[in-house]
Amino acid sequence: MMGGYGDVKLLKDDGSRLDGRKVDEMRPVSIQAGVLPAADGSAMVTHGLNVAVAAVYGPMEAHPRKIQRQDRAVIDVRYNMAPFSTSDRIRPGFNRRSREISKVTAESLESVVLVERYPRSKIRVEIEILAAEAGTRCAGITAASVALADAGIPMRDMIVGVASGKIEDTVVLDLDKAEDNYGQADLPVGILPNTGEIAFLQMDGDLSPEEYELAMEYNFKAANEIHEIMVEALQRRYDGGEA
Amino acid sequence: MVELVPALLRQELNRLAEEGTRIDGREQWEARDVSLETDCLYNAEGSAKVVMGGTIVYAGVKFELRTPWPDRPTQGSLMCGAELRPVAGRKYEPGPPSPESIELGRVVDRGIRESGCIDMESLCIVPGEKVWGVMIDIHVLSDQGNIFDACGLAAIAALRTAVVPAERFDVGEDHTLQVNGTPIMASFTRVGGRFVLDANEHEELGGDERIHITLGDEGHLHSLQKGLKGVFTPAEFAEIFDVAQKRCVELRKMVAKTEGN
Repeated sequence: MMGGYGDVKLLKDDGSRLDGRKVDEMRPVSIQAGVLPAADGSAMVTHGLNVAVAAVYGPMEAHPRKIQRQDRAVIDVRYNMAPFSTSDRIRPGFNRRSREISKVTAESLESVVLVERYPRSKIRVEIEILAAEAGTRCAGITAASVALADAGIPMRDMIVGVASGKIEDTVVLDLDKAEDNYGQADLPVGILPNTGEIAFLQMDGDLSPEEYELAMEYNFKAANEIHEIMVEALQRRYDGGEA
Repeated sequence: MVELVPALLRQELNRLAEEGTRIDGREQWEARDVSLETDCLYNAEGSAKVVMGGTIVYAGVKFELRTPWPDRPTQGSLMCGAELRPVAGRKYEPGPPSPESIELGRVVDRGIRESGCIDMESLCIVPGEKVWGVMIDIHVLSDQGNIFDACGLAAIAALRTAVVPAERFDVGEDHTLQVNGTPIMASFTRVGGRFVLDANEHEELGGDERIHITLGDEGHLHSLQKGLKGVFTPAEFAEIFDVAQKRCVELRKMVAKTEGN
């Protein structure tokens, strides 16, 4: 069952993908802002079958004191997959994967939040994955950005999490679970849609320089589409329910 | 409403109790709006989302194959756990499972287990070799009071919609999990000196002990728990027990209605 690269056919004869998408087509995305009453800011992102919820608490006093920074706020991110979010149950608690994702997500958010405004304080960002189907870290980054905006925390820009990859030697946008499992590469990035900068970058697999360029082109296209949905979600929350 | 002023909050709750009202205007035995949604998590074999006022919890059911305990070779197992992660509120800290989350999971677990709604024998595949382990995981996303009732409702609703993934484990055909009953929890908190149903976060912050009652379809008791500092009289229990009976019937109807859709 768990074969290597190329063992599973992921593209149909007409060049479309198993779920019928074109190579540069992303899964449907929907976003709601302000979903958790207990949080200072929150958002839920549904990206294909992925469901990510983010809650923001703060800015608040940073403790223990050794984590305080004299000139800025620290951003404390926890990315966590719920035990029922995957096909096989995950034992509750942190693991190496979630620790790494939490770390790089925190660092990317620190690149856009105006942390200098809140010296010695802490902003808590909790990312909970309720359903996972490839692409949860990207959905989590998108959710965290909307939740930070919902909390009224000033940012240079929001970050949009998107990914492209390669299946059967073809670059495609937004890998689903089968494509992620049996594909040849995955390039998740966090894009600042207003400045065109990149705040989050990971990659694994095998991409030629040309394939990298095309994958990035797809990612930027998708980031602009998702950014519109993020803005609409915030407008629905703050413009009196008008979509 | 910050935690620095619980003494003032207490005073206010006492005053409201004397006037016979509550901090959000409810009556003593009046619950907040509840909504229940099932089959809402893609990868869970059974799932439910409960919104109770500003409290939001999800429950998901997963199955695993395991070897039975040697002294119970024909019985599967059921486990229910709750996670109170920092997402749920400002007061929650990261770290290993807190005593509060362990209590929460165990109280919900007992209500379901002791009601007998799951026949452990029905979880047997090959006696002595292969049985199903059923796991209910509860995830609290927003705590604005009375997470116990929300967790209890989400857990039983998720369980009642669960489909045993036999095909994926190559042990027969997928089938609906057999659940014979709908145990429901009703929780009471002492606020301003008297008990109230379905306390919100302010009432919990400025209140005292809580009592959790889980009742089965016939109105029998299946789980009781008293939590936090405080004492109560048998007469007080008799009063809240009557309220619990009515509350459990209402919520059980809601579960049945959700399943009917």
